Amino acid sequence: MEQIISSLEQFWQFTGFANVAWQNLVMIAIGIGFITVAIIKEWEPLLLVPIGFGMIIGNIPMFPGLNIGIYENGSVLNTLYQGVKQGWYPPLIFLGIGAMTDFSALISQPRLILIGAAAQMGIFGAYLLAMHVGFLPNEAGAIGIIGGADGPTAIFLSSKLAPDLMGAIAVSAYSYMALVPVIQRPIMLALTNKKERLIRMPVPRQVSPKEKMIFPIVGFLTTAFIVPSGLPLLGMLFFGNLLKESGVTRRLAETARGPLIDVVTTLIGLTVGASTQADKFLTGKSLLIFGLGLLSFVIATTCGVLFVKGINVFIKNPAKKINPLIGNAGVSAVPDSARVSEVVGKEFDKNNHLLMHAMGPNVAGVIGSAVAAGILLSFLG
Amino acid sequence: MKRLFIIISLLAAGLAARAQNVSDLIISEALAVPDSTGILDGYGARGGWIEILNTSQGTVTVGGCFLTDDKGNLTKSLIPKSDSRTQLLPRQVMLFYASGKGSQGTFYTDFKVQKGSTIYLVSNDGRTIIDSLVVPAELPDGMSVAKFPIDAKQIKHETAQEPCVPTPGILNDSVNSKTKAQEMAEKDPHGFILTVVSVSVVFLALAILWFLFTTLFKDKSNQPKKEKKAPAKKGAKAPEDEGVALAIALALEMERNSGDFAAIAMALHLHLTQSVHDAESFVVTFDQESGKNSSWRNKQLNFRQLPR
Repeated sequence: MEQIISSLEQFWQFTGFANVAWQNLVMIAIGIGFITVAIIKEWEPLLLVPIGFGMIIGNIPMFPGLNIGIYENGSVLNTLYQGVKQGWYPPLIFLGIGAMTDFSALISQPRLILIGAAAQMGIFGAYLLAMHVGFLPNEAGAIGIIGGADGPTAIFLSSKLAPDLMGAIAVSAYSYMALVPVIQRPIMLALTNKKERLIRMPVPRQVSPKEKMIFPIVGFLTTAFIVPSGLPLLGMLFFGNLLKESGVTRRLAETARGPLIDVVTTLIGLTVGASTQADKFLTGKSLLIFGLGLLSFVIATTCGVLFVKGINVFIKNPAKKINPLIGNAGVSAVPDSARVSEVVGKEFDKNNHLLMHAMGPNVAGVIGSAVAAGILLSFLG
Repeated sequence: MKRLFIIISLLAAGLAARAQNVSDLIISEALAVPDSTGILDGYGARGGWIEILNTSQGTVTVGGCFLTDDKGNLTKSLIPKSDSRTQLLPRQVMLFYASGKGSQGTFYTDFKVQKGSTIYLVSNDGRTIIDSLVVPAELPDGMSVAKFPIDAKQIKHETAQEPCVPTPGILNDSVNSKTKAQEMAEKDPHGFILTVVSVSVVFLALAILWFLFTTLFKDKSNQPKKEKKAPAKKGAKAPEDEGVALAIALALEMERNSGDFAAIAMALHLHLTQSVHDAESFVVTFDQESGKNSSWRNKQLNFRQLPR
């Protein structure tokens, strides 16, 4: 009988109930919150559901040394986590993004590319703020990239510059990407007047298949020669796009934008979520990162909208003016921020469709954030 | 043409393989006579040593190579191949004790470092000298001869003119080196310089793209269109043929009472006239059972006829 009680006591030590801490419960609650928001509000469900469930997995209290936890060498979760830690997953996601993105909007209106550059000010604004509050330059660079509104880029850069902060940075980036409609709309309305919101832009011209084929090669050569450190992201993005546009690699393109990106998204979401173990995640630094992440989105949106207003000053022909409501789309949350431009634009003119125009700066933002990540990596890596 | 591609591919593969082989190794430092502060080997003896550096960004197997101080005997001291510890990680060094008794272990050589001699690192073929280091005759005791990187990529190295304070087992330029982030924290404590430079580069990169796309992809929709002849593609049909094809398809539709033929005809029409039809990923196909009893499916007709 004593042996049975002793065995039960021993078993009790291995249960979650014996090892639970309030921090674990907080993180589990946050994970459930993510899943709830994803299901009810449908905010980025493909990301928030895996991350939310990953948070629950990562915060199940357990006895250490069983080779189960994500930070225990050789465990299943640890093996899957290597894709995040070593930075394999983000370029694979970029491959899929390239294979599913139609750059026609950008090719037909090249002038919109610069909006994608202006919105990257969010990255460097957050970098300055992070330096100001006492983060080291490499940590500040990793935090700043949240402003690029690009989850894979944020994971890629933080895994290189500040691996300890990666969990907080990734969760922050994906959370704010899900909240793009909530964050951007008030800023867009505050910075524009009714006349500006009613600007109608000319219909973009039709882009030929030949132009679409040349684009990834020219785009890659240009950006990669300027910032070779962005090679993994830029290379995969443009390669994926070439697979799509070449017309002769349809099977590869379909795999890249279908099964491959689905698998990688599932794994990246789950492991990033699981990496937010309470003891490593619930710190003052994480709260600061969340605050700075929010500010970076605000700065990015503000700079994008103001940049368009600035350009309009120099455009004399009223027919060629740009609607400032597409300025927010310079952040690379594709296609959510472009969708925000469309929705807000239609609030004031039901027949004014801004989606195709906003997709231009939106995809330029993807390129811009990858370039910015490359620059930060070369300076701070 | 195909052969040319294969040759180029093989050459590229060969170059890629070469990028992480023993040719990336150098003799980075050597000490002939130690002083009282010199390091002890595994047997508690104080003697000379040789340090090898992997200058590449990939792991290199040092095992199988040779160390020698005699150009006439390049295979004087073999580095055992079977020892897994001879895997040298990127930008790391490996230390060999020049005890004169190679049998003492993997990291011991069969010769001692002599002042005025030259040490050679020889490839695993026993013939190719990968690198060499001259040990000056006037090298003071307790001082070493070392090589330091001379380029930003830290691949090319040059022997220092002056004797150096020995740094066995440590990268020669790493004693006081700082990380990029630490350097940046000193040079740019508030982050303004990096911000200005980075923003400029992002704008420059995207501005170049803007310029290129504006130049390369000009909007031709506003230009007056020239009268274009039908495409002279091989096998392409003339417009009158397209009309005939359409008429046949419509007749077939009436005859067979199926909308499929009209759809096929429309697709053909769009394709032949090079209209808005885009070769996207979603391709409509027709999987009909109509060919069930065709000659292609007739097993009897597919058999080889027996000779009579």
